[in-house]
Amino acid sequence: MSGQDDDVTARPGDDAAVARRGGPLAPGMRLPDRDVPEVDAGRMKTTAALLRDPTPIHWDTAALRELGMGERAINQGPLNMAYVMNMLAGFAGGHDRVRRLRVRFRGNVRAGDRLRAGGVVTGVRPGQGERGGETLCDCDVELSVVDGDPVLTGTATVALPEEGSDDE
Amino acid sequence: MSEPAGERPEVTADDVAAQVGRSFPGGEFTVERWFAWLLADAALEQPRASVSDGAVPEGSGDELAHPLLAWTAATQAMGVTWDELFAWFGSSADDGPMFGEHETVWHAPMRVGRTYLVSGEITSADRKSGRSGMFDVIGYAFRLHDKEGGAHVADCWNSLILPRRHS
Repeated sequence: MSGQDDDVTARPGDDAAVARRGGPLAPGMRLPDRDVPEVDAGRMKTTAALLRDPTPIHWDTAALRELGMGERAINQGPLNMAYVMNMLAGFAGGHDRVRRLRVRFRGNVRAGDRLRAGGVVTGVRPGQGERGGETLCDCDVELSVVDGDPVLTGTATVALPEEGSDDE
Repeated sequence: MSEPAGERPEVTADDVAAQVGRSFPGGEFTVERWFAWLLADAALEQPRASVSDGAVPEGSGDELAHPLLAWTAATQAMGVTWDELFAWFGSSADDGPMFGEHETVWHAPMRVGRTYLVSGEITSADRKSGRSGMFDVIGYAFRLHDKEGGAHVADCWNSLILPRRHS
């Protein structure tokens, strides 16, 4: 099983991951990709236990076969959402900067799949946070199997501190 | 495992639609540190990587949790089990229910140690047909409020796809 430290390409708070404000924050700007090198069946089992999710397609390969759904366990939809949240947090500088996420599940993610979460800025507008001014950044987001199809698409809004603020 | 075809009473589109407006019993969910840690780990995130505003003292109630905790808290405290929810629509986990769509709006960050009050209801139920056969699309929504102070913390909307393999 891959260690957590090897599982991701960027994390919230990493200098390289936080949105760079040297260039223009404008529609069309790509968000930094975030990869999941290999979806781990063990984490599906942990998640099933945490969520008290009785759906066997996440942990029982015999049930998968009986349903005609192949041999590899199917990742929980919430985990797929979480990978996109992580990507957004990496861009914005923290999970508390993720303000909205809407997704449509378009396909299954299976144990062993390699994934890539990414997105593009679609709009930039002023907002008002608890600690003063902030910039709200609307995005299209996507999670895809690398060299495969999108499995999740949607839209999101993240809040970025205004340039020059203490939070930047 | 799945029941043999024919043993389960047929669930009609009217049966499914009759559940629209049904409220969840609701409840409360406390974000315990061990739970937040394991969920973040399962989500491939460092358990304490959520912090953008600097370190906070452990146990202060200000430590950020992964935003997936909003959906997690909602579904853990909706007041019914997943099997019970599926049964509202004459379905079960063995039918292979799937996520359709999801939206969360966070009005405040999720935090370790906080207790959230959960309420919600079924918002839609539609029978459809596709390449894989007949299925029902169930919409349901939750609201989360901070138990201490009552602040509105998050709204979650979801749709659930229930295959009708035996219909």
